[in-house]
Amino acid sequence: MIINFISMNGYGSFVWLSFGIVLISCLVLYLKTKKTLRKYEKEFIAEFETLSESNKKAVLEKSRIANQILATNSRAD
Amino acid sequence: MIKFLLPSNIYFFLGKIIKFINSIFFLILIIGLAFALVLSPPDYIQGDSVRIMYVHVPSAWIGLASFSLISLFSILNFVFKTKNLYLINKSIAPIGLLFTSLAVVTGSLWGQPTWGTWWAWDARLTSMIILIFFYVLFILSYKLIKKEDLAVKVSSFLAIIGSINLIIIKYSVEWWSTLHQPASLKLGNSSSIHSSMMLPLMIMLLVLLLYGALIFLMKYKTEIIKMKKKNVKRL
Amino acid sequence: MLTKKVKSRISFLVISIVLLITSVFFILNSLKENVLYFLTPTEAKFKEDLEIGKNIRIGGMVKKGSIYADSKEIKFTITDFKNEILVSFSGTVPNLFAEEKGVVAEGKLKDKNFFVADRILAKHDENYMPPGEKNFLDNNAK
Repeated sequence: MIINFISMNGYGSFVWLSFGIVLISCLVLYLKTKKTLRKYEKEFIAEFETLSESNKKAVLEKSRIANQILATNSRAD
Repeated sequence: MIKFLLPSNIYFFLGKIIKFINSIFFLILIIGLAFALVLSPPDYIQGDSVRIMYVHVPSAWIGLASFSLISLFSILNFVFKTKNLYLINKSIAPIGLLFTSLAVVTGSLWGQPTWGTWWAWDARLTSMIILIFFYVLFILSYKLIKKEDLAVKVSSFLAIIGSINLIIIKYSVEWWSTLHQPASLKLGNSSSIHSSMMLPLMIMLLVLLLYGALIFLMKYKTEIIKMKKKNVKRL
Repeated sequence: MLTKKVKSRISFLVISIVLLITSVFFILNSLKENVLYFLTPTEAKFKEDLEIGKNIRIGGMVKKGSIYADSKEIKFTITDFKNEILVSFSGTVPNLFAEEKGVVAEGKLKDKNFFVADRILAKHDENYMPPGEKNFLDNNAK
């Protein structure tokens, strides 16, 4: 039963290889995308920290996105 | 409507949608794999190699759909000059490249046991390779060209030229004799795929679409942050 | 509603796309011979500049009851229901090679009706169904 499932009447290697390739390459792209996203979030915060207090306030008041990025990142840490 | 499409508004929804997809993704993935690998019957001629179709066909569809969107947005961007569309295109392109390549690789793995060859230079297979070239050129155009105005122009040009290749891919199996079989699903016609095989195909399509949406949203979020970073400097 | 700039961009775009499509159409038309992956027996019969002994591909259906195999070679007829070509091949055929199924043979014509193949490829049709559901096909054909 299990051997049958793995061998798939001789087509097993082709079937498993194609599903494997799809899953692995999708996982790699996902991890890479996530890493880039985190990197830019961190860079944004670093940039933000270099500002003076009054400028920080101005950015936060003007930009809702800046607020969001800071909020999500502090949660992740 | 226009206001809703502003990056600052979209950004709030991105996080929520990403979370939602993450929460349901694995459940649907497992259901899809169970149907594709175990519960669906083997084909009457191809046997179990038909299961490759459940990743091959959705990959090919998403690869084609992604480029269609990129072409459409490039045309709109050319006419209306909305920067947002350019950001969206940059976020779609990697997904399209990944899935087009996967369609070619899985198709090759299907071709060996079914046709008796890994590869044939027929019109369908060749035009899919050309689509991969267009994706690579499109991605290189904005990775390598530092001047944004020029990058937008070059990438839009590539996308619009490439849209003609899409038409060739679609009709290649009808216009010329090819080794690749004609489409099984046609608009307005009954499908030539049995319902017990249609179900896993549709679930796997949903799985890969959700995955594509997830990658798109994360990429798009990255693009918005990049843009905002430049604005912070300017303040 | 649309500004003048937008209108001029649209017309530029439409004109260039029309030009592009026409040029691609002419290119493909002139390449037609090369784009064909195989010739049907009818095409092979009426093609005048077809060289005997040059490598080509012939495709069609394996005629019902036409397969003869012995230890050295396998012989069968490729048909497109108008014309047919006898094919001889020594080697292994793909699993999906069968009567009344699509096939593509690579090799050389010996004469207009006899083809010696170096390679046989099975051409699959667009139907997918579990075993024992042949009537699904018939329903579909209507």
